[in-house]
Amino acid sequence: MIWQQLQSIAGSYPLALRGLGMTVMLSLISLVLGTLIGFGLGILRTGGNRLISGAIGAWVDLIRGTPFLVQIFLIFFILPELGIELDAFTAGIIALTNLAACFICEIVVAGIRSVPTGQVEAALASGLSRWQRMRQVVLPQAMRIVLPPLVGQYVLLIKDSSVVSAIGLTDLTRVGWLVVQRVPNGLLVFFLVGLGYFIVCYPLIMLARRLEQRMGAAHGEVQL
Amino acid sequence: MTSNRSKNGTGMIEFRGVNKWFGTLNVLRDITLSVEPREVVVVCGPSGSGKSTLIRCINGLETIRDGDLVVDGQRLGDPATNMTRLRTEIGFVFQSFNLYPHKTALENVTLAPIHVRKIPRAEAEKAGRELLAKVGLADKVNAYPAQLSGGQQQRVAIARCLGMRPKIMLFDEPTSALDPEMISEVLDVMVAVAEEGMTMMVVTHEMGFARKVAQRVVFMDAGAIVESGTPDEFFSHPKTDRSRAFLSKILRH
Repeated sequence: MIWQQLQSIAGSYPLALRGLGMTVMLSLISLVLGTLIGFGLGILRTGGNRLISGAIGAWVDLIRGTPFLVQIFLIFFILPELGIELDAFTAGIIALTNLAACFICEIVVAGIRSVPTGQVEAALASGLSRWQRMRQVVLPQAMRIVLPPLVGQYVLLIKDSSVVSAIGLTDLTRVGWLVVQRVPNGLLVFFLVGLGYFIVCYPLIMLARRLEQRMGAAHGEVQL
Repeated sequence: MTSNRSKNGTGMIEFRGVNKWFGTLNVLRDITLSVEPREVVVVCGPSGSGKSTLIRCINGLETIRDGDLVVDGQRLGDPATNMTRLRTEIGFVFQSFNLYPHKTALENVTLAPIHVRKIPRAEAEKAGRELLAKVGLADKVNAYPAQLSGGQQQRVAIARCLGMRPKIMLFDEPTSALDPEMISEVLDVMVAVAEEGMTMMVVTHEMGFARKVAQRVVFMDAGAIVESGTPDEFFSHPKTDRSRAFLSKILRH
């Protein structure tokens, strides 16, 4: 019985690979975009401008305080009513990127605030411009604090990407739903789905752990 | 070679009726003080008297409430004054060194010359090595701050300022965070800088340094300049009760 089911599941491997590919693709694109935007938001948030800083803070709180599923529904089903038509893939990327950017923004802000004031004063006193202070003095030191939780956030992002199956994207989770209609063994099917996510995430978990150890030991030189 | 030019017959650093408050605390009271080019002025006084705040105003790490502060002919707070540009002419040595921990001694010294002065890297590194040799750290060029003693870190910090070829050097209690046996190595470097004709304001209680190179000692208490005179006058014949009380405390040991 189990053996037959396994064979039947194995027969769906092209579909499973497609799902895995979709999950990796969604995660990778929104991870890269989310990191770039998150760093930008974090730097702006700690900049002098109160209005910009306040606006970013409010947006980050809003996103952190609402369920991701609701955010996806809003982007995919409500935006078209306002005349913005998005295909499911674009909607998924936007939702995931936005979520990642908001969390990464908070991580970057914490890192920037961890750099002692004296460092900024030393950079100010030698005439470095705002961007030079950030690039040469603050960010390299902030990276010590930022890197481990940043990689941890990537793991969360990959898992959160499963929510986009709700708008019809054939990612790993949705492949599970499709297969389970043919092979009535939910436990087995979703065990395999979970395993798929774990295989993608585990190397990142290991990386985060190694970074944490290395950051503690080194005397602060992190190359950007 | 620093320029002796000073506009409108004013000094290199010119305080006129400067006041500053932290909340309701009047940390600088009606400060009027002129520092001439190549002059070395030592600022002393009890803790909390406003000495550090005074010199931090000069490069804009603190802002003043009212009065005029003119540095190298440029009025601070004036929209025409480019503060970032002005700061490149002013070296600032911190009590806690504030070296960049992720950069080597040489990189600490060359960072601003390369990125602010736009000096080619090879040239900046050559100058940086010479400066580190000058402060006695030729063998520590590639060391990270964490691998250096306090005295060595402070000497790198001085070299970092000199790398910008400033017109003015400000020292905020440069030896207060050091173990006693490291104080003289830092003071020796400061004496050498003074003897080359640098305009300097030094917040310190090192009276030996003051006697050796300072033209003037300024004594502050409760945000005001209480007394000002040559080191000899100040140490041998303090004029006010407050300066006598202060001197008796720091000279006792």
